Amino acid sequence: MKIVKGWFLASALTLVAGEAPAADPGCIVVQNVAEMEQLTSDAAGKQSVKLVPATKVVPGDTVIYTVKFRNRCDKPADNVSVDNPVPEHMVYVADSAIGPNTDVSFSVDGGYHFGKPETLRKKDADGTERAARANEYTSIRWVMRHALAAGAEGYARFRAVLE
Amino acid sequence: MTRLQLALASCLVLLVARPAFAAGTPAGTIIPNTAQVTYTVGGSQVTTPSNTNTITVDERLDVVVTLQSPPLPVQGGDTRRGLLLRVTNIGNGDEVFSLAMTSAIAGDDFDPIPSIPAIYFDTDASGDLSAADTPYVAGSNDPLLVADAFVTVIVANDIPTGLVNGAIGRTRLTATSKTGAGPPGAIFAGLGKTGVNAVVGVSGGVANAVGVYVVSDVSLSNVKSATVQDPFGGSEPVPGARITYQIVVAATGTGTAANAVLDDPIPANTTFVAGSLRLNAVALSDAADADAGEFIAGASPAIRVRLGSLAAAAGNQTIVFQVTIN
Repeated sequence: MKIVKGWFLASALTLVAGEAPAADPGCIVVQNVAEMEQLTSDAAGKQSVKLVPATKVVPGDTVIYTVKFRNRCDKPADNVSVDNPVPEHMVYVADSAIGPNTDVSFSVDGGYHFGKPETLRKKDADGTERAARANEYTSIRWVMRHALAAGAEGYARFRAVLE
Repeated sequence: MTRLQLALASCLVLLVARPAFAAGTPAGTIIPNTAQVTYTVGGSQVTTPSNTNTITVDERLDVVVTLQSPPLPVQGGDTRRGLLLRVTNIGNGDEVFSLAMTSAIAGDDFDPIPSIPAIYFDTDASGDLSAADTPYVAGSNDPLLVADAFVTVIVANDIPTGLVNGAIGRTRLTATSKTGAGPPGAIFAGLGKTGVNAVVGVSGGVANAVGVYVVSDVSLSNVKSATVQDPFGGSEPVPGARITYQIVVAATGTGTAANAVLDDPIPANTTFVAGSLRLNAVALSDAADADAGEFIAGASPAIRVRLGSLAAAAGNQTIVFQVTIN
């Protein structure tokens, strides 16, 4: 949990910098970050991976999108759900959507319908219907199983590859 | 292994197993992303959008060179023998490439001698070196290729003399990104298309392909002999005498003569004996049909035998036919 609090310190700084000037942020404060894994080697040649902001990418790079949210009110928020579209030119990485205490569903029609992977269908060019593939998902929805308590926080994350 | 180490190991795999995309999203593309959170507090529903984060696509420097020609049969002393190659920009932005050829490659039997000039563009798209093809001049007409585009290049070499049949000589064409080459992931800040960074891709921004010359000499020899049988049991070439011609064809050298055909005219003042044509003692019909031989009638009568692809290993091919003296 210590690490999670560290994230929110960063998010508060970003808000001060004026990146997300919502008129009335309401009870839940939202921050969306795009990051990449960076492989580094220290002097001894030991390698480690850290997340760095993904401002610049090249085709084939994997980007990790994380939506962080926090209930800043003194009462719980119910029915919390997070929607995040898979951006144009990006392809969702199968099984990469995660979020503590959430049920994840997907859309293949731009966020109109959401469903579990096994319920999603796509039509081929010749009109035959088949199960949708993970690389065809257009949006992802995370629904929290419980209320988000006052002061509590959570996140919803997925990976996508730049085409 | 701790959980952290496991996580690191899986991340490493992800980085190494980066798929090779052809071209991909164009350099300079801007990719925005905005999420939203919906919830209810005190019975009322609220939707809050996130900040929009924006990613700019950098230029990836990647190139591939592919050989288009099969090993080229050559003979000692040949000049300006061309091999066809293709240079393709598999990065995601416009890029200029420099070209270089070397024929001093270890491990082959001889070094082809670069012609002057040695690199041409296949300007007329003929697939071989011809007068219309533009010579490449480094720094002057370096090819500019948009993402996924290719240019067809011919490298030309002269073949030294005194080589044995079957000897192999190699030549290499190298294409290098003019923005820069280096280890994959190296960054040339601001040097990409529209001022984005240029990042070296898996090719390292440089690629090559090697073409092959094979010394492949083949020659066909034929030896013709005649025997005469006169109507009186002798061998005088008198009217009515029958002449049996025998032609022995053989290939020498390491190569293969493709579609070898023997045509032999019927001598003046003689008449072909119907049904007398033989190849290796097997009768061939006079008609132009599925078998290997035929008699061609007309003003210039001749016999024709199709020997197919002929190499030294096939040995002697013996053709026999008869004529009578008019």
